[in-house]
Amino acid sequence: MSETLLIIEDNPQNFYMMRFLLEKNGFTVIGVENGREGIEKALTLKPRAILLDIQLPEMDGYAVAEELTKHGELGDVPIIAVTSYAMVGDRERILAAGATGYIEKPIDPETFVAEIVQYLADGCGHLEKRQ
Amino acid sequence: MVLDDQGEVIEILSIGSDITDRIQAEEEIRRLNDDLRQHAAVLEQRVADRTAELVIARDRAESADRIKSAFLATMSHELRTPLNSIIGFTGIMIQGLAGPLNEEQQKQMRMVQGSSRHLLALINDVLDISKIEAGQLTLAFTAFALRPAIEKMVGLVSPLAEKKGITLVLDIADDVATVTSDQRRLEQVFLNLLNNAVKFTDKGQIRISCRRDNGHYRLSVSDTGIGIQPEELPGLFQPFHQIDTGLSRKHEGTGLGLSICKKLMDMMGGTIDVQSRWGQGSTFTICFPRQAGDLS
Repeated sequence: MSETLLIIEDNPQNFYMMRFLLEKNGFTVIGVENGREGIEKALTLKPRAILLDIQLPEMDGYAVAEELTKHGELGDVPIIAVTSYAMVGDRERILAAGATGYIEKPIDPETFVAEIVQYLADGCGHLEKRQ
Repeated sequence: MVLDDQGEVIEILSIGSDITDRIQAEEEIRRLNDDLRQHAAVLEQRVADRTAELVIARDRAESADRIKSAFLATMSHELRTPLNSIIGFTGIMIQGLAGPLNEEQQKQMRMVQGSSRHLLALINDVLDISKIEAGQLTLAFTAFALRPAIEKMVGLVSPLAEKKGITLVLDIADDVATVTSDQRRLEQVFLNLLNNAVKFTDKGQIRISCRRDNGHYRLSVSDTGIGIQPEELPGLFQPFHQIDTGLSRKHEGTGLGLSICKKLMDMMGGTIDVQSRWGQGSTFTICFPRQAGDLS
């Protein structure tokens, strides 16, 4: 039984790339384009993990993460932020908002899946991105 | 008073002084005080008016800054997003993940990827120089270990150096430990110097040395490459300067790298210098404080 990952991403090509790589590695992928839909889907689906694009239109990634962490039933669902913000302050902000870790854009097709798998193995809690 | 025999007043003597001057002086003072008060009122009004003008000008400047900052941030995102798609998908295809590629397809995919990476480097450089020129580039200081940072950058260029048959020599002094600086930007400068060294060297070695020098670190990248002509040296750190050696078509570059390095080093309170002999090689040295961030 394959694990389901929820991806909240508004750029269709970014989403396609992530889904392609993850499905190749046996995951089932569900995608939504905005934060609100993402929160609803997360609650109904209870995915194995949530991949959250930080640069979302309307409700931004930080707000989505904060909202998701308010729901106790999602307590063991790691939130992995996908962000092009690499600055020190932003990393803290992402983790403070409730993300377990983050993956930097541009997505590196060679390491993307391995990074996700690592986060799943590590479970929830505030972890720094693997160097 | 002088009285006669019958007690009538004959003369009145009095001792007086001529106070005309005094009265006139007091008048003058009163007049000058009034003038002064009037001038002060006029000046006060002028100061108030000028302050109001400056507040408007300052608000306009701050607003322009915010617009510039938002523009650069948006451009950054908008320009990089499609490119990341190109680089990512060609990467997937080259790995064979979307099906096997024949040799020719592999070759052409690699060319597409190479060009895309070059384009991304150009965009990054143009955005950096724009931010710097607009006063929008800010440094973020953290404490980090210098040796691993140097080793990481050297690691990034070793595949290409190996391919060209160039030896990389690391000579980092034992007392090179932590530094407080902008890690990302410092690494950007090291990498730029390393990339240049590999680019302009066809054989021999590149020596990377790092020493502590009182409150500073001094890092040199020394190569046995083609070197730089003396007349090229003054303009080296100016933007859009790319040495035309006739081989320039082989050396893809943006022409912005060294000027960005210079500006970054300036911002960090450091320096960048070059020594070179045509036909023999070049040594680029950066010097930066161990504790940046005490800068205003």
